[in-house]
Amino acid sequence: MIEISGLTKTFGSGDSAFTALKDVTVTIEENEFFTLLGPSGCGKTTLLRSIAGFVDPTTGSLTINGDDILSKAPFDRPVNTVFQSYALFPHMTVSENIGFGLEMQNRPKSEVQSIVQEMLELVQMTALADRMTSQISGGQQQRVALARALAPKPKVLLLDEPLSALDFKLRKEMQIELKRLQHETGITFVFVTHDQEEALTMSDRIAVMNGGRILQIGGPREIYDHPAERFVADFIGDTNFVSADLQSVEGEAAEIVLPSGKAIQARSVTGGATSGKVTIAVRPEHATLTAPGALIDGTLQNIVYFGTDTHYHIETDANSTFVIRRQNQPDAAESQKIGDKVGISFNPGVAQVLRD
Amino acid sequence: MARSRAFDVRRQSGFAFVALSCFVLLYLPIILLVVYSFNAGTSIAVWEGFSWQWYVSAWQNEKVQEATILSLIIATCASIVATSAAVMAALATTRTSKFRGSGLVFAMINQPLMIPEIVTAVALLIFFAMIKVATGYTGIWYLIIAHSAFCIPFAYMPIRARLQGMDLNLEQAAADLYGRPWQVFRRVTLPQLWPGVLAGAMLAFVISLDDVVITEFVKSAGQDTLPTYMLGQLRRVITPEINAISTVLLAISVALVVAFYMLSQSKKQ
Repeated sequence: MIEISGLTKTFGSGDSAFTALKDVTVTIEENEFFTLLGPSGCGKTTLLRSIAGFVDPTTGSLTINGDDILSKAPFDRPVNTVFQSYALFPHMTVSENIGFGLEMQNRPKSEVQSIVQEMLELVQMTALADRMTSQISGGQQQRVALARALAPKPKVLLLDEPLSALDFKLRKEMQIELKRLQHETGITFVFVTHDQEEALTMSDRIAVMNGGRILQIGGPREIYDHPAERFVADFIGDTNFVSADLQSVEGEAAEIVLPSGKAIQARSVTGGATSGKVTIAVRPEHATLTAPGALIDGTLQNIVYFGTDTHYHIETDANSTFVIRRQNQPDAAESQKIGDKVGISFNPGVAQVLRD
Repeated sequence: MARSRAFDVRRQSGFAFVALSCFVLLYLPIILLVVYSFNAGTSIAVWEGFSWQWYVSAWQNEKVQEATILSLIIATCASIVATSAAVMAALATTRTSKFRGSGLVFAMINQPLMIPEIVTAVALLIFFAMIKVATGYTGIWYLIIAHSAFCIPFAYMPIRARLQGMDLNLEQAAADLYGRPWQVFRRVTLPQLWPGVLAGAMLAFVISLDDVVITEFVKSAGQDTLPTYMLGQLRRVITPEINAISTVLLAISVALVVAFYMLSQSKKQ
């Protein structure tokens, strides 16, 4: 279990000071696939490097299974890293790379050999064990980097955008592969990415970061269905933002009134307003196209056919754009046409009140 | 390629003439020196036929033998000392976080390149004279220390360049895999740095082998390196033996420079 509390990192000083991490507090559980998701410069890599020991936080605490590790050098921490550039040692073979960490731990030679064999099998690289790392492909280098970091059986594996250099097909394969490895080894994975789809498909929990802060932590479904802030809703997937009047909040249920005057139940956000003007978020596939006189009315501006689904762009009567995504049925004729008056409707509890 | 069309220095009038005269001035004297080292006669200016005799006579000259051995000992020791110091200096200036006055330290490491050699020579002469008076020691260590000192910046440059070009992630990965600083250096940094270390050592070796001014001032009576021996000979009778020795020195230097070039080219990506 990794417990991070009040972690802050400021680079430089005076006018040129830059705060990369602002009071980050998070607990990562044993055997968890935990993802740090955010745009570049959001602090996710700085947080990862703080755990690895390459960045010295300015304030805060960081413990692994109760041990304070901030005072320890990188070689004393029970964590291993898969680097974005892989950082394989070019003057060593695949086997030597994988065995490096074990050798540094002074494990007996026979043990090193058997673990290296085991790792080669785990990442399906046995046939290339004696190649130099410059003689293997990018995907294979990726596997060697993984095996090298897993070989010493660390308590925590840190992965710094390890899939970003791979092509699309290989990336899909490695996503499944990584999930399998995490399951088989039972090691806690802390995974850094800017790719929301990668985060949603692989993670047990996701921390969405921006501007050095963690904005929201939750499972993929929770993050997607119930974003707490506008940034989270916008960064992950597509979202419609609608302004509304918050009437009352009771637990998770919020009573809102839309600009059309219609009232509906929405999901509230912890730490948000309890009344007044708010913004709500509705996912395009959570809304349906109906006849006028619905929750929101408007004019159909555009219909875009995507194969699996169709997007309807609607100019609402409150002068904003709302997109509805409808899954296509075989041979269904398009019943709507551009310029039609239409209504937008969604179920109670689907709309999410945002915190800002 | 549009830029080279717009301004191609080779198309300027007189370019060929200037370039050619530079090369002739640079290399013609050296070619003549090499040619006359094979002269059968005793003149360094009148050709009397081909012969190896001056190489044989230089080879058999005990003074030349002694000077050669001293030169090689000094150059070997100085290049080892200078290269070790340069590796440490390069690590300290590229692998530590920027510290107050790091720019000044960098300048001070390279300053020996700027100080007139004669000034260093005089300073060392006076400094070592004081030590000689105090200790009575007159051996070759004065020369080794002096050569080590002025060779450091030459060894430092290729090593630092190599270190700066190296992927810092490799060392971090080694530290992450439980490598202690010394193990990281020995197992990851040094194998990567090796071409730079060799290049630096070779450069230091050539510079030491070649030095006249500082050696002339620092050497004790009776000590002679190859260059100071040659300088002494020039004051007496000049025979093609000097040409022969020069040609051998030239051959060694060229061989080392070629090796240096090939090392710096290898594994550049």
